[in-house]
Amino acid sequence: MFLKKKPMWGEKKKLKSSYDVVLIGGGLHSLATAYYLAKDHGITDVAIIEKNYIGYGGAGRNTAIVRANQRTQYNVPLYNEALKLWPVLTKDLDYNLMFNNCGNLNLMHSEAAMKAARMTIATAQFHGVESHLIDAKEAKELVPALNISEDITFPIHGAMFHPPGGVVRHDAVVWGLAKGAAKLGVEIHQQTEATGINTQNGRITGVVTDKGTISCKQCLVSAGGYSAALINGFLGIKLPISVLTIQAMVTQPIKPLLDHVVSSGAYHCYANQTLKGEIATGAHMDQWPNYTTLNTAHYIKHQAEALSEFLPALRGLRFMRIWGGLADMTPDMAPIMDGNDQYEGFFMDCGWGYFGFKSCSAVGKHMAAFMATNECPEILKPFNLKRYQEHKLMGETAALVNYTPDN
Amino acid sequence: MALTLTCPICGERNGYEFRYGGEEKGPRPEEDGLTPEKWVEYVHMNECKAGVQEEWWFHRDGCGSWFKTFRDTTTNLEQKQEG
Repeated sequence: MFLKKKPMWGEKKKLKSSYDVVLIGGGLHSLATAYYLAKDHGITDVAIIEKNYIGYGGAGRNTAIVRANQRTQYNVPLYNEALKLWPVLTKDLDYNLMFNNCGNLNLMHSEAAMKAARMTIATAQFHGVESHLIDAKEAKELVPALNISEDITFPIHGAMFHPPGGVVRHDAVVWGLAKGAAKLGVEIHQQTEATGINTQNGRITGVVTDKGTISCKQCLVSAGGYSAALINGFLGIKLPISVLTIQAMVTQPIKPLLDHVVSSGAYHCYANQTLKGEIATGAHMDQWPNYTTLNTAHYIKHQAEALSEFLPALRGLRFMRIWGGLADMTPDMAPIMDGNDQYEGFFMDCGWGYFGFKSCSAVGKHMAAFMATNECPEILKPFNLKRYQEHKLMGETAALVNYTPDN
Repeated sequence: MALTLTCPICGERNGYEFRYGGEEKGPRPEEDGLTPEKWVEYVHMNECKAGVQEEWWFHRDGCGSWFKTFRDTTTNLEQKQEG
């Protein structure tokens, strides 16, 4: 956008006064939805409205981990489909997404945690997702750098091993989808801020932006962490969302050490080695809602302490870069995908918390089908907003999420 | 990203001593004629304001007070109110 060169996602076009579909937010969910609207349904009169640049938000800030070992029957098939789409998208987009299915190792530090893992694994296996329970020795065989001794704060009892998971280069997904969508006719308007949504008689009639008003029949808000504030500001629809800054960091690059994504709930830390050799690590959310995306000394220290206990080989390494992003958390840790309910033509796709990246491929496909046919696909039905007042919360977390230091 | 909060009893203290208690949503709705819509609005729904919001805090590692304050969610700075 600041370059003279032509960007991969087409020449910069002038914003038209009308589109069939307007997508607010230039993140992965919008890009994937636009791509599938064009590819699967031939709907190409589509504009993506992005305030900054595509991939500015969560799409470029997540730690690139993908997996399908969630907790509930509604979520697992969705993430499993997303996982299976990475190789397909790599081919279809003709863009190397650098999918590395190195496997995820989720450490368990108590018998209670092992028991909880058994249930999660049973759910995964029921849905045909590969996931096993292994003991500490087997974990050590997979990841020799692990410290399985008993003299650490949270000794390792075993792990949930999920071989098909891994990492995908998140920027490549942004660029690949943008390129693919633009090629099919989708317009991507960066540095264009949505400032309102117009409605008439319960229908969406247009989107107001700082570059002019666009009339449209359908509008999707999938603006990541900013969705809840936008939807409330534009349409007065309050959502069961809390927006928290989530932090991440990478160390200086080292020789190959970790060939799995290793995570620990008790240490509140996950780590994987990027192809550049850095150890990418994160997990901590601020304990109170905020939009700062700033890092804290408090957390950098926590992260160093956690890593040097269960991966002691990392002691003495330096953190090279730190950053933060936003997680829009719902009480049941499951997203909100809804459409044509509050307003005819209004769709939302938000509340993903820190799961937006790993779900984007499958969600784009299904949201596109939802918008094209005005018929909610079966797989998305349980994720509507009404579930909260119907008391059908999802149980992605064992207890209701309350924003305390333990989450 | 420092956070300092003013406890009505202990004064200005480090934000990590406190537990966030949610957005200020007014009084708990009356039980009489309570609908699922009204209840879910009170229990779960948030404005998620990017700017100054009124909110509850609990001085967990201190005197145990529950109090309301104003904070800018884009800077984490507490806003002192006049009067």
